[in-house]
Amino acid sequence: MTTHPDSAATPKRFTIPIGPQHPALKEPGFFEFTVEGETVIGATLRLGYAHRGIEKAVVSRTWVQNLYLLERVCGICSHIHSLAYCLGVEKLAGVTPPPRAQAIRVLIAELERMHSHLLWLGVAAHDAGFETLFMYSWRDRETILDLFEQISGNRVNHSINTLGGVKFDLTAEQIVSVLKAVELMEERARYYLDLVRNDPMLGQRIRGIGTMSAAEAHRMGVVGPTARASGVGRDLRVEAPYAAYTAIPVVVMLETDGDLQARFIVRIREMFESCRIIRVLLDHLPEGDLQARMPRRIPEGETIARVEAPRGELFYFIKSNGADMPERIKLRTPTLCNLGSVLALCIGRQLADIPMLLIGTDPCFSCNDRAVVIHQAGNREKWTWEQFRRYGNEALR
Amino acid sequence: MNALGTLLLFPGGLALLLVALLAEWISRKLLARLQNRVGPRWFQPLADTVKLLAKEEVIPEGVHRILFEFLPVLSLAAVLTAALAVPLFGVVPATSYAGDLIVTVYLLSLLTLCTSLAGLITDDHYAALGGLRVLSQLFSYEAPFLLALLGPAVAAESWQITRITAHAGSNVWMLFTQPVGFVVAVIGLMGKLELSPFDAPEAHTEIVAGSLTEYSGRGLALFRLSRNVALVVGLTLVAALYLGGVSDPLAFAVKTLALLLVITTVQALFARLRIDQTIGLWWHYGVLLALGQWFLILIGKGAA
Amino acid sequence: MRISTILGMALQSLFRVPATRSYPQERTPSPERLRGQLRWNPEKCTGCAVCVKDCPAVAIELLEVDKAAKRFVLRYHTDRCIFCSQCVQSCRFKCLSLSNEAWELAALDKQAFTVDYGRDEDIHALVEKPASTDDSPRL
Repeated sequence: MTTHPDSAATPKRFTIPIGPQHPALKEPGFFEFTVEGETVIGATLRLGYAHRGIEKAVVSRTWVQNLYLLERVCGICSHIHSLAYCLGVEKLAGVTPPPRAQAIRVLIAELERMHSHLLWLGVAAHDAGFETLFMYSWRDRETILDLFEQISGNRVNHSINTLGGVKFDLTAEQIVSVLKAVELMEERARYYLDLVRNDPMLGQRIRGIGTMSAAEAHRMGVVGPTARASGVGRDLRVEAPYAAYTAIPVVVMLETDGDLQARFIVRIREMFESCRIIRVLLDHLPEGDLQARMPRRIPEGETIARVEAPRGELFYFIKSNGADMPERIKLRTPTLCNLGSVLALCIGRQLADIPMLLIGTDPCFSCNDRAVVIHQAGNREKWTWEQFRRYGNEALR
Repeated sequence: MNALGTLLLFPGGLALLLVALLAEWISRKLLARLQNRVGPRWFQPLADTVKLLAKEEVIPEGVHRILFEFLPVLSLAAVLTAALAVPLFGVVPATSYAGDLIVTVYLLSLLTLCTSLAGLITDDHYAALGGLRVLSQLFSYEAPFLLALLGPAVAAESWQITRITAHAGSNVWMLFTQPVGFVVAVIGLMGKLELSPFDAPEAHTEIVAGSLTEYSGRGLALFRLSRNVALVVGLTLVAALYLGGVSDPLAFAVKTLALLLVITTVQALFARLRIDQTIGLWWHYGVLLALGQWFLILIGKGAA
Repeated sequence: MRISTILGMALQSLFRVPATRSYPQERTPSPERLRGQLRWNPEKCTGCAVCVKDCPAVAIELLEVDKAAKRFVLRYHTDRCIFCSQCVQSCRFKCLSLSNEAWELAALDKQAFTVDYGRDEDIHALVEKPASTDDSPRL
């Protein structure tokens, strides 16, 4: 992904590397910005620093073991990854999880959306130099993490999904805790919304910056809240509902300004919507089992599973050849769609806006990195582990 | 007190360094409490300084070695010298002569110049950008700060700190007679010391550590120490001029503490401004406000 | 125009207790479902080894002392375990559980991480058998 300036060299033009190690990046990625003074005139991106070989690793683990591997693709959106995987595998096996399990899955997914947005708010505030907001939003996030610990036993990587349903039930006291937490979250979200809309200094950093029109968002293929802030109403919970979303209509939060402030506002408003969905869910929580029986060997076939992660559309392609291990799983995370927009939007902006623009798309580099083999001129090669490892070491030097 | 005692122990030297560390602790602790956190224990800044002094100093390639090692020392020397003319601890300053207000303010600026130079002499992009930002901020904050400090000087009809302090001590606090000047002075001080929201020169999420990126060990310890000393000296100056003089240690403690609390609270409240916003905002408004205040003072003097 | 939207909250925070929990002086009680270290009840184990097969981290080894008499020793690798509780789910006889109190598992040497569960006589019978060092996924 490159946007190059003219080749004629002019004085005081130099290249600033941001990454792979940089305080603005929570995960490694290599951006190279060509700047003249403080204005950016070109940008390049290299990914691959957090590549862990997940798509290779899933092929040598059973379906059950892969639940836990795929959950750990990302720490912030771990439940949604395992949810997408479960949906795909259950579709292949022709198994429908019971309604109570579907509801609990959605409950955890919405709680995770709120925690992800609060985390993002803190990180964005930190990048803007607003430490106090960072501390407050992460303190509020602790409420949700404590809830996760009560319900599933772990603060992140909850492992509540199992093939065919969920593992842990919701007790009456936990439902009360959830409702109390939701009320607190709504109050805090109201406070943050007011802050983001009205704080003058923060407004200087986010208002009118990184404006992306709906047409540009469409063209660059942006997904998730980044697209919704520009008025592109893509939301898989509405377009292709899954799990309990088929029974609960979701209201898509849209903003039309398309600037950084709109992205802040969309995410905070989505927290309100998550609170509403959780309340509706808990009001109508169906009784019943938590798990349906799943075969050990998944029948042959291929399927796709698309879910709405906190960052956008998460896409899984799962292929089985009838064995007890998958043949191929391909993941495409939402960050990959959104990073291109950062490169396009930063041209002409000040260097100090770059971290804010990057964080506005809520990047998650660790979710992101996959290896893609490109067939050139019909030449198909199969690489051994050794070749792959050597390529990785040399190419990323 | 003989000169050596003043320089090394009290009120300069050791006492000043310890108070500088104390000021850093108070600032960090208050910031933490405002953010609903616990904050460091009282000896943390001392521990940080000792740790940094003990660490290996890495000197980057291609840098002028003598200059690299000399700059931190020069900046500390500059602020310690600036402290000699200021009524620290409520004690009569060691040196006092006509025009020492200007000299003090410029010695404080020497710290900023050294910081900027520290960034510009290395090959590092981040440090170079940081150094440029420090210089830009220096240009836009120096003038309003100096003008704001000259407001009380005009009222006292003298450019000697002891005379201005005496005048401030015997009249109504300038905080009330020149409120605009006070605000400009406080904001100017924050800009000089690169405290949030004016910390674009050391915006660590954009340019790692700004001009001090390449410093480690002893050099970094001395730069941090000089920054803390500059904080104390700046606070004393503003307190002495605007808060009715510092005639005894108790008044010194209370007034500088109050000012420190105000500055720290302002630090907690705002997002960091971009460098062009910092300069654009303050170069216009700051100078205009300070000049407006001067105008009012001159009218007042003329009418009196 | 408000200069700051956060002043009220900041001043309030000055008078509230900090949100930081002072661990280890203050230990909040762990929730019931907290997933800590594995525990095994040898009485009901039939040696089906589904837990071994399903573990994503190769953290469980079932060592046979006497298969016919259902005497086994469960060797558990705390350092490999990811506390996912799949073994608890997989076991049909409910022999396994994750403790909610043993979660402070740091140790100064690797020996402490390999735990042998079982009846005392079974463990003594196996005292010579070394721990497995193979942690690649089993095919």
